[in-house]
Amino acid sequence: MLKIEHLTKAFGDKLAVDDLTLHIAPGEIYGFIGHNGAGKTTTLRSVAGIQQFDKGEIRIAGHSVRTEPLECKRALAYIPDNPDLYDFMSGIKYLNFIADIFGVGADERAERIRRWAGEFELTDDLAQPIAAYSHGMKQKLAIISAWLHEPKLILMDEPFVGLDPKAAHILKGMMREHCGSGGAIFFSTHVLEVAEKLCDKVAIIRRGRLVRSGTMEEVRGDDSLEEVFLELEEDAK
Amino acid sequence: MTRILVRKQLAEIFRTYFYDAKKNKARSKGAVIAYFILFAFIMVGLLGGMFTFVSILLRGTITSGYGWFYYLMLALVAICLGAFGSVFNTFSGLYLSRDNDLLLSMPIPVRSIMASRLLTVFLMGLMYSGCVSIPAVIVYLATAGFSLGALLGAVMFVALIAVFVLVLSCLLGYGVARLSLKLKNKSFMTVIFALLFIAIYYFAYFKAGSFVSEIVANIALYGESLHAAAPLVFGIGRAFEGELLPLLLVTLAVAALLALTWYILSRSFLKIATATGKTDRKVYRESRAKKKSVFAAMLGKEFGRFTGSANYMLNCGLSTLLLPIAGILLLVRGGAVADVLSDIFGSGGSVPVLLTAAVCLVCSMNDMAVPSVSLEGKSLWISRSLPVDAWTALRAKCGMQLLLTVPGAVFAALCSAIVTRSDLLTGLLMVVFCAVFASFSAYLALYIGLHNVNLVWTNEISVIKQGVQVLTALLAGWLLPVLFVLPYMLLLNGDFSPTAYLALASLLFAAAALVFRRWLRTKGVTRFESL
Repeated sequence: MLKIEHLTKAFGDKLAVDDLTLHIAPGEIYGFIGHNGAGKTTTLRSVAGIQQFDKGEIRIAGHSVRTEPLECKRALAYIPDNPDLYDFMSGIKYLNFIADIFGVGADERAERIRRWAGEFELTDDLAQPIAAYSHGMKQKLAIISAWLHEPKLILMDEPFVGLDPKAAHILKGMMREHCGSGGAIFFSTHVLEVAEKLCDKVAIIRRGRLVRSGTMEEVRGDDSLEEVFLELEEDAK
Repeated sequence: MTRILVRKQLAEIFRTYFYDAKKNKARSKGAVIAYFILFAFIMVGLLGGMFTFVSILLRGTITSGYGWFYYLMLALVAICLGAFGSVFNTFSGLYLSRDNDLLLSMPIPVRSIMASRLLTVFLMGLMYSGCVSIPAVIVYLATAGFSLGALLGAVMFVALIAVFVLVLSCLLGYGVARLSLKLKNKSFMTVIFALLFIAIYYFAYFKAGSFVSEIVANIALYGESLHAAAPLVFGIGRAFEGELLPLLLVTLAVAALLALTWYILSRSFLKIATATGKTDRKVYRESRAKKKSVFAAMLGKEFGRFTGSANYMLNCGLSTLLLPIAGILLLVRGGAVADVLSDIFGSGGSVPVLLTAAVCLVCSMNDMAVPSVSLEGKSLWISRSLPVDAWTALRAKCGMQLLLTVPGAVFAALCSAIVTRSDLLTGLLMVVFCAVFASFSAYLALYIGLHNVNLVWTNEISVIKQGVQVLTALLAGWLLPVLFVLPYMLLLNGDFSPTAYLALASLLFAAAALVFRRWLRTKGVTRFESL
């Protein structure tokens, strides 16, 4: 589903991502872990086609992000860490806008909006301007918009930040359901307990370089993910 | 405590003088001083100077023995200016202040918070009403002569007007606050109120001269009529001339109004201060959405941003309204305008060319494509992560300007053609040229907008109203119609038919529009993708 090969991106002299290679198969929930400034967001933005990269190749469902960006973007949805949505739109206008861009039919979008907005208890707020939404409500709206066109790959940057426990629980269920039906999810998180319970595979990145990746069992062995992560941090000092 | 709070309030009101929103940092000392000098120049030099002039024009009323009438008229002007100037500060500072929760959580008596808010409103009212009342009393004392009574009346005039403005501002501010919570289409209503104010201002500005002359010429008639019809009003005027008993009564009346305001506010201040300020909730009712194309969705997004911001509409889209108005005005009064232009420039072909240039000049006030790229701001990630090619995104930005300008330009040009009684071909070319010019302006605006893009603004006004891009677009908008009309007026008038000139100019501007469109489709797309 997603193949990242030797991805390299620098900002000036600083290497944000250094020769990163990752493969994500359909049906996988892939966690991306690293300290602040490790290169997680840069990787996710490069995969989403928001940011150009210097070296390497990214392929989504067989299409190259560099040469076939629109085909790649049709297959994915991206949720940034801070969802700055169009404040001038109402929630429902934003969802209809996204549905129009992805060519979601009127009946399908109505059914999906009804379902997901209902799950997140956002239905009553859909007519309100996004400017009046709290951070959590914006996050919920961004999640609904990402699921609206049933993408093959969903990229999420710290998706649980700002969500209440119930919404976080619903999101975990949505992630499992999406991957159960053949989709893939690649998300970054600082909450290691969530990654441990939710992910099929995990990658740990440090200063732009991949330091460990694989199935949860391969990465953590007999330890907890937190212990492995802290151990790797110590080793790097 | 109140003094500290007043200082904080004033710092908040004059925040833009100390803080650069565009760069998100404090201004340098030099810049702060320069801003305050500019402010003083506007308040004392421009506004003060203007009302000194008005007061001097009204001196005839004082020398005719109607000083009370002079004071009444200028009191009315001072109250209007003071209330208008401070009503919005009252609205935001007293009723919808964002730091009420913070202050209420501190060990500060509620009375002190309220007093500091009111004192700030008073100072703002004094600042605005003083632009009228201070020149008025100076002119009065210089004309009527100096006496202790006159001086007392003059001082009380300045002070009581400011207090009255405070009372009025509290009342109006409450109205504005209530209205802002109820309004559904706040952006449109703000635009309508702003345009109404501009219309009233210009109406008053153009009529003020004849109104003042009329009053001065017939002061005895108006003065006696008012005296007979409203003796109380006469008493108020006399009070400011220094008559002690009326002055005492007016002072007591204003003090009573102030006490009443304080009483009412102190009973409701906590409720007002802790109100959430949330607008009335819109109820969501599910309805079947019509599926749109990608371009229509992007265009809809641009229109949503435009109509969602009063600042954007007022600063970049006035022509949308002015072009049809100009067309209708041309149909109603255009004959006289055309005759005057013919008298000045000759009855050759200059009038159709001049009117076409005038329509283009109005067109150029629409430049919504200029800030459209910068306005993406922090939400740029949305269009970048969606399967929308950059050219479609840019086309939508141009498309909005074209749709909001071309129909009005065509209508105004058609009205110009009718007014100038042009033949069919010349009339058609006037319309074609205006449409081509509007298209050229849209592509040029986006070309300018793609240079010096600012995506890290904290206040949208900094990309809508300020900056090099907007200035360049404005200058180009003024310069291009002049460049269109000058060669004809200076060199070709008489030797070249307006029809041929309009055809040639249409071709030239169409070619230039295509050049800019080509740039946008190639280099513009690359630039947009690299943001």
